[in-house]
Amino acid sequence: MTEWAVELRDVKKTYRTGPIEVPALRGLSLQIAPGEFVATAGPSGSGKTTLLNIIGGLDRADSGEIWVAGRNLQLLSSGDLSELRLRRIGFVFQTYNLLPVLTAFENAEFTLLLQGMPAAQRRARVEKLFSEIGLAGLENRRPTELSGGQQQRVAVARAMVTEPALILADEPTANLDSATAIALLDVMEHLNRATGTTFIFSTHDPQVMERAHRMIRLQDGQVLSDETRGSPERANVGSATRSA
Amino acid sequence: MTALALGLGLALLLVSLGLLDGGHEQTIADGVRFGPGHVVIQAKGYQDTNSDDLVLPARVVSTIKQFLQTPNMKRVVRGVSPRLLATGLLSSSANSSGVRIMGVIPLKERAVSLIPQRMIAGAYLTDDNLSAVVIGDDLARKLEVKVGSKVVLMTQALVQPGTPTKAGAGEEMESTLLRVNGIFRTGLQAVDANIIQVQLPAAQTLLGVADGQVTLVALLLDREGDSPLVARALREQLAGVPVEVLTWRESIPMLARILGLDHAFNYIMNGVILAMVGLGILNTILMRVLERRYEFGVCKAVGLRPRQLALMIIGESLALTSISLFLGLALGLSIEHYFANSGLDLRLLFRTGLPPALVFDPILYSRLSVNRIIWSVGIVFVMATVISFYPAFKAARTELPDALKVL
Repeated sequence: MTEWAVELRDVKKTYRTGPIEVPALRGLSLQIAPGEFVATAGPSGSGKTTLLNIIGGLDRADSGEIWVAGRNLQLLSSGDLSELRLRRIGFVFQTYNLLPVLTAFENAEFTLLLQGMPAAQRRARVEKLFSEIGLAGLENRRPTELSGGQQQRVAVARAMVTEPALILADEPTANLDSATAIALLDVMEHLNRATGTTFIFSTHDPQVMERAHRMIRLQDGQVLSDETRGSPERANVGSATRSA
Repeated sequence: MTALALGLGLALLLVSLGLLDGGHEQTIADGVRFGPGHVVIQAKGYQDTNSDDLVLPARVVSTIKQFLQTPNMKRVVRGVSPRLLATGLLSSSANSSGVRIMGVIPLKERAVSLIPQRMIAGAYLTDDNLSAVVIGDDLARKLEVKVGSKVVLMTQALVQPGTPTKAGAGEEMESTLLRVNGIFRTGLQAVDANIIQVQLPAAQTLLGVADGQVTLVALLLDREGDSPLVARALREQLAGVPVEVLTWRESIPMLARILGLDHAFNYIMNGVILAMVGLGILNTILMRVLERRYEFGVCKAVGLRPRQLALMIIGESLALTSISLFLGLALGLSIEHYFANSGLDLRLLFRTGLPPALVFDPILYSRLSVNRIIWSVGIVFVMATVISFYPAFKAARTELPDALKVL
């Protein structure tokens, strides 16, 4: 039996503001295999961001099961979820979410610091990654001194530097121009191919949708369609996992 | 700003404690010097009865004097003044008034009492003038006398139980003519209107007691804290002798009670200061935590555990507290040093006149012990640490993903 990178079983999530209830996910089920490069798309309010937040343990579902790296997130404590994010999951946010008081290098290094990695190893790993994704020379700049594309690359570096099994990217190209977005996608696709890291995007961007090897469309908190495409080996992975 | 606020709080606490402790020390110092000293030795039963007939026999006084000459006692005892006390009537050509007669040896009394230092007219007693008397200014006003005026002192000779006395003692009125040598003002109405001091031999003659007999021996010590030790040593030395050795707390219980109440009030005041400092710390740290919600959200999103986040806040608070305490110590001790040397002139605060029971000396000198400093720093440090727990707890509970939306 295949061990999924991510598996959701009948996941429900409703946001409540006073008497108002807004269902975000309505019994959503999904399996994603290791190494997949997946995009989720759909109109605003379809549940894309909620889905990523729940997979990443940033938010909790009301019911259902969420399995990531073989662990049911619903059963984990807040501390255990932090540990899982630190070791197994990387995040790339639409608004970059870099710490403004830290330099680009320090932002990328931060998660390694939390892991307790020695300084020399941290430096080596961050420098290598910066070199691979075109950030060399920008190490000492603070986020305010970087362009949007550069900031998002730093965010990708921060997500990748711990070599996680899964990277969740919430509309990573939303604030970038077309050329910068393509460059960022190149970086992420390269990392996906090179490391086998699973990528799950939420996006409105047609460029991202085109590059995704699997496209999941959401509507009203449910899967509207689930389409596998792209390179044959990726397609095989996708179909195999879904039929398992 | 947080460091400054906390530092100011500690500085305020140190200055307040210094002035309060200084005030207490001064009140005790002045109180005992207007009263019977830090330690008093008197005939057994005198404290309860206040009977003037109870006097110390000459041989007991001699034993006391000898013991006080031992090296251990000489190290801690600053002054020794034997006093003979009685009540009498002082009359001038204009008026009469009941008085408390205090027969003293001028040179010895100077080393113990503050009265010789509070002369506002004339001079204090001298050993060579047996007919001199010094009186308080309230009494002088009542009798309408001034320096050089003649007054007549009338009293009854004492009756000493078990001791041969002059025939008719206790029945016949004795009187003597005295001349006002000086007028003092202590600010204490009970002293200025009632106490008169005369030469001890003159009082002994007037009261019909033998040479060497006195009502009490007042001791002034270098340090108030030695009072119980000196009293205990004297009690051991005078075991079996019908005397009572009392510390000032026992001989002037009213002063001890007032200081006790004052202490309680001071603790409340210090509690209020600490509460204000504490609320300031809580408010500041809490505000800083709320302002950094986004930062904490990012940290948690990338894997910082809630416990680590809480420890980070507590660590930051401790670092901030340490800097604050350093600033507070520097500021507080500087101000305290000034008040310790130059004093705080209470007349500037009470322009219409000092409250009579507040202190005897209008210049209040700060006194801050090392223990007080350690206590203050310790309590502010512990308080800041404890107070940081709540903001740390709040930071640890930063809600994801909401916190990430705040930018």
